[in-house]
Amino acid sequence: MKVLVLNCGSSSVKYQLIETSLEQIEANADVVIAKGSVDRIGTGSAVHTFQPAGRAKITESGEILEHREALTQIVRMLTHAEKGVISSPGEIDAVGHRVVHGGEKFTTSALASPEAIAAVEACVPLAPLHNPPNLRGYEAAKRILPDVPHALVFDTAYHQTMPPVSYLYGLPYVLYSRHKIRRYGFHGTSHRFVGWRSRHLLGRPREETRLVTCHLGNGASVCAIDHGRSVDTSMGFTPLEGLLMGTRSGDLDASVVFHVMHEEDLTEHQVTTMLNKHSGLFGLSGVSNDMRELLAEEAKGHERAKLAIDLFCYRLRKYVAAYAGAMGGVDAVIFTGGIGENSPAIRARSLSGLEFMGIEVDAEKNAAAIGTEADVSAHGARVKTLVIPTNEELIIARDTVRLVAGAENP
Amino acid sequence: MEFRKITLVGGGGFMGRSLAQKMASSGIDVTVLEVSEERIAQAREAMANSLDDELRKWGITASEKKVVLSRVTFTTDPTQAADCDLAIEAVPEDLALKQAVMLRLDAVCRPETVFVTSTSTLSVTEIAAASGRSDRVVGMHFMHPVTRSKIVEIVRGSETSDETFAKATALARTLEKTMIEVFEYPGYVVTRAVVPFVNEAMHIVMEGVASAEDVDLALRLGFEFKMGPLEYADRVGLDTMLGWMEHLFRELGDFKYRPCPLLRKMVRAGHLGRKAGRGFFEWKGNERVRSEKEVSR
Repeated sequence: MKVLVLNCGSSSVKYQLIETSLEQIEANADVVIAKGSVDRIGTGSAVHTFQPAGRAKITESGEILEHREALTQIVRMLTHAEKGVISSPGEIDAVGHRVVHGGEKFTTSALASPEAIAAVEACVPLAPLHNPPNLRGYEAAKRILPDVPHALVFDTAYHQTMPPVSYLYGLPYVLYSRHKIRRYGFHGTSHRFVGWRSRHLLGRPREETRLVTCHLGNGASVCAIDHGRSVDTSMGFTPLEGLLMGTRSGDLDASVVFHVMHEEDLTEHQVTTMLNKHSGLFGLSGVSNDMRELLAEEAKGHERAKLAIDLFCYRLRKYVAAYAGAMGGVDAVIFTGGIGENSPAIRARSLSGLEFMGIEVDAEKNAAAIGTEADVSAHGARVKTLVIPTNEELIIARDTVRLVAGAENP
Repeated sequence: MEFRKITLVGGGGFMGRSLAQKMASSGIDVTVLEVSEERIAQAREAMANSLDDELRKWGITASEKKVVLSRVTFTTDPTQAADCDLAIEAVPEDLALKQAVMLRLDAVCRPETVFVTSTSTLSVTEIAAASGRSDRVVGMHFMHPVTRSKIVEIVRGSETSDETFAKATALARTLEKTMIEVFEYPGYVVTRAVVPFVNEAMHIVMEGVASAEDVDLALRLGFEFKMGPLEYADRVGLDTMLGWMEHLFRELGDFKYRPCPLLRKMVRAGHLGRKAGRGFFEWKGNERVRSEKEVSR
């Protein structure tokens, strides 16, 4: 079936039309028919980029004031006589929506219903920047494609299997019962996908596999997967916690926030922006949030670029070892995300020193694995090290198909 | 989004720049209408500086600064206001001037376009009377700096329609301001309440009861204010403060609004506060020079 996958931000919509089915999922043979995005929604100069598979990219600019108009344009483009890839909107069999926060309500992806949407609305206070545009996108799509099933795929759902020792903070318990202050974790679809894929590659049943999955992109998180379930992850109440990221600080003593606010006379907004957009690799290096640029600068002798990269790798190493400890061992470490898939240097540097745990990387195999699925472990290493490219849109399409077919999540 | 393009007349002034920046930061395209190329150059530079300050305070990123600047167009051509969704005047507090602006806007804007006057003390009804569309004129009194303040007073003139009022409320929401609905009366809520407060603090200093620093410290720490009344007056500008007081004194005739003689003396001496580098306190740029006693607090 053809699934339209939507990822709606406050002023953008990213989309893909994917042909998939239960059989195609099993054979890893899903087909992306077209992808595109609409940016700068709400302005007179919105940009619609459309990329049909195997054909030239098309870019159009014009006034698009709201998500419904953006969705109308997207469907019009998909069904356009010359530029399009399908002949009528009726060919779209289902719509899959990325939703950032499902709170404690959603432990898996779900078909949209009035009750489900009300529950997503109830999570708005937990993700005030993300859930509202996700909901606007859903409402717009529902209006334009009212007769097909719509699925909601959450960033948080996969981590709902975490036990209280992982998800609670050491705060007064009443803050959890009253405001649901706890760790939720994000990148759930990605961790779930590479976890599933790695068990497939390793040929091991989920009951006998302990994994540490490292999703390293501009945002980055680590997940401990035991028995196929997330038992801990490094992002917390928001995506700010955990690893050093492109522009986010990751783990931090909360007292620093108040001290800096006082010393620098900062508002709540300024300190929030500082932690989320001016910190991490970018803030430490003063150069860039892009790992490729940092590695190039480091090679030229830039000291703070090196410091930022070292810090990134060091913190990742701590998390990998900690999660192995949390699970009482680890069978495989998996790298995914832009950095995880494409940077052999970061993979090697992050894991160096963990040989005592049986983690050993083969330099040659590691160097060759760029953007492809690969086993980069050294011969005879007790713990496998794998590279598995992630694909969020594909996972959303697959979940949609499974929900429509009434099949179980992997 | 409800507002795509807003025209701001006198957007190069102190309040206007801050308002233009806030609107552009909220995703609205802003056309700043000014009287001369010189004013435009000043306004453009001041806005870039203000965004740089925010960048230094980590409040925005370099690319967000670019986006905000790209949303603001400066012009001296009034016909650029023709297709705007809403027009705001932020010219100096002078009735005749504000009325002239309304008249010019009425000549170029669509008949349904709502006009906002940003007056803090003048009569919205009187300003609206010159507009040729008094039901579509409403007052919005923003607090400086608009980029940080949390409220706006929305003022109904006697002819302001509910639809027009709703439009102003929607703008307040877009700018993330809590709206305070006020009926036309000199000084509304904010100005009227703060004037006697500041005036009293000045009297305390003039009568030698305590130093300016201690008066501010007492009130700031005693009531958990963000700043004391004298620092506030210095930030606003002592000449502006004097203007507010004279206006309220004239309009309401009550002695509690009579400007403190010390304030008059300081304004005559050119000690106008932050912008002059000296008022009740010494200033270096935007920052107050603080004594050790105060810093330790």
